[in-house]
Amino acid sequence: MSGIWTVCRREFASYFQTPVGYVALGVYALICGMAFVLSLFMYSKVSLQPPAYGYTSIPNFGEALISPYLVFCGILFMFLSPLITMRLLAEERNRGTLELLLTWPLTDRDIVFGKYLAAVGMLLLMMPVIALHLFLAARFRPLEPAAIALGVATVVLMGLALISLGMFISAVSRSQVVAGTLTFGVNLVMYIAGNVGEKLPQRNPAPEGWPETLRVLIGGAWELFRGLLTQLPLDAHARDLTLGVARPRDVVYYLLFAAFFLFLTFRALESRHWRGK
Amino acid sequence: MIEVVDLTKNYGHLRAVDGVSFTIPAGRITGFLGPNGAGKSTTMRVITGFTPASGGKVQVAGFDVAREPLEVKRRVGYLPEHVPLYEEMTVRGFLGFVAGIKGIARGERRSEVDRVMDRCGLTVMAHRIIGNLSKGYRQRVGLAQALLGNPPVLILDEPTVGLDPRQIAEVRAMIRAFGGEHTVLLSTHILPEVSMVCDGVIIIHRGRVVYDGPVPDAGKGGASLEELFMRAVATDAAGREEETGVRKEEEP
Repeated sequence: MSGIWTVCRREFASYFQTPVGYVALGVYALICGMAFVLSLFMYSKVSLQPPAYGYTSIPNFGEALISPYLVFCGILFMFLSPLITMRLLAEERNRGTLELLLTWPLTDRDIVFGKYLAAVGMLLLMMPVIALHLFLAARFRPLEPAAIALGVATVVLMGLALISLGMFISAVSRSQVVAGTLTFGVNLVMYIAGNVGEKLPQRNPAPEGWPETLRVLIGGAWELFRGLLTQLPLDAHARDLTLGVARPRDVVYYLLFAAFFLFLTFRALESRHWRGK
Repeated sequence: MIEVVDLTKNYGHLRAVDGVSFTIPAGRITGFLGPNGAGKSTTMRVITGFTPASGGKVQVAGFDVAREPLEVKRRVGYLPEHVPLYEEMTVRGFLGFVAGIKGIARGERRSEVDRVMDRCGLTVMAHRIIGNLSKGYRQRVGLAQALLGNPPVLILDEPTVGLDPRQIAEVRAMIRAFGGEHTVLLSTHILPEVSMVCDGVIIIHRGRVVYDGPVPDAGKGGASLEELFMRAVATDAAGREEETGVRKEEEP
């Protein structure tokens, strides 16, 4: 247990011994702030003249402002997370310090969880920005404290999953740059896939005249493909959560996602025992 | 203290270490010699638990490296070949971190870090950033982290490479002083170093042990260490010259 804590403390401190930590925090705060201000302006314009923007009445504050803003905060972390995760293991390998880490009296668990928690610490440092925005928003319209907490928790859940994915990619990369680029690419593809998935037609793509069995098969495969595209991306499960609808399956999705890539990170670190034998 | 039995290590099709066996009794300083790519670093990496062996057995202080790696790691201080360090940390910060990892109690960490810094002549550099240190001081930081927690076994991979003559003399004197208290396995390319510092010497070539015995004393009319080394390395190489250069050590 103390090993995890020691590794975590060093890793966390090193974010601020290099500019990485400041850059990540600063950029995140800046862009979140801009997004919040812009959506607030947009919302006030819409509420003055709802028909001009296709609304019949003043749109719901939570649905039209808070939820999209929170989903955006999560997506923004998607694009900044490589900054935080790319170095975790790739840099140790690149600098050779992995040799020290693996010959000190530490278990793989100490290393993986220590580093994961350090990155999660960075994520948590970003959250006060969002909380502040929600707090400000609550001055205009009453917001349930529970809804604010759930909103922040949603972004944290997305972050937990993203950090886990990024750490796994860092564990299998030799250089930070490769790890960072790859993580960014995977996140971007996931995001695009989600958007594409939502635009795909729901009906069976097989032509009417085809035999029934073939149509059912194609229809099933299509459903699966569409389901994967819409359900797998990290932002897909955030929307309801940010509206205050806490469904266990959405929460479990993020936790499972994080656990899965943590598991793979362990295997990647362990692979030194069986590779090249 | 260190017992290596029939150790082999393959990197893919390359056999870097081929049936190496030796025993190093407690408190002895043993020189580990061999041409480049002989398997020295690989053997050391297996003993420290960084690289798993492909075959054979390694025991340190009675603990099997493969089965109880943590027990072995608690008893071994290791200075890797290229001295990897966390460049962005200060000397004291880094050593304090390692002391924490090695499980030294919070109250004793400061005095333990002071002790190894004093022993390695780092006290004046305590607050410098490691990335800004000269090669010689980096080497000392590497040695200092190995010494933290006073482990009974020290594995030092080319500790004097890249140092100036004065620093070499200092580091040698330091290692000499480890004798009796620590069991030391020291790899080097500098033969006189072994004569000066070590009690025994192991020479390996092409992944096999070709000499394991006391350091020869040229003054008594026997062969010098250099003659011994050249002979040990030549006898085996003569018949297999075409292989030269193939058996390079690979980074895992």
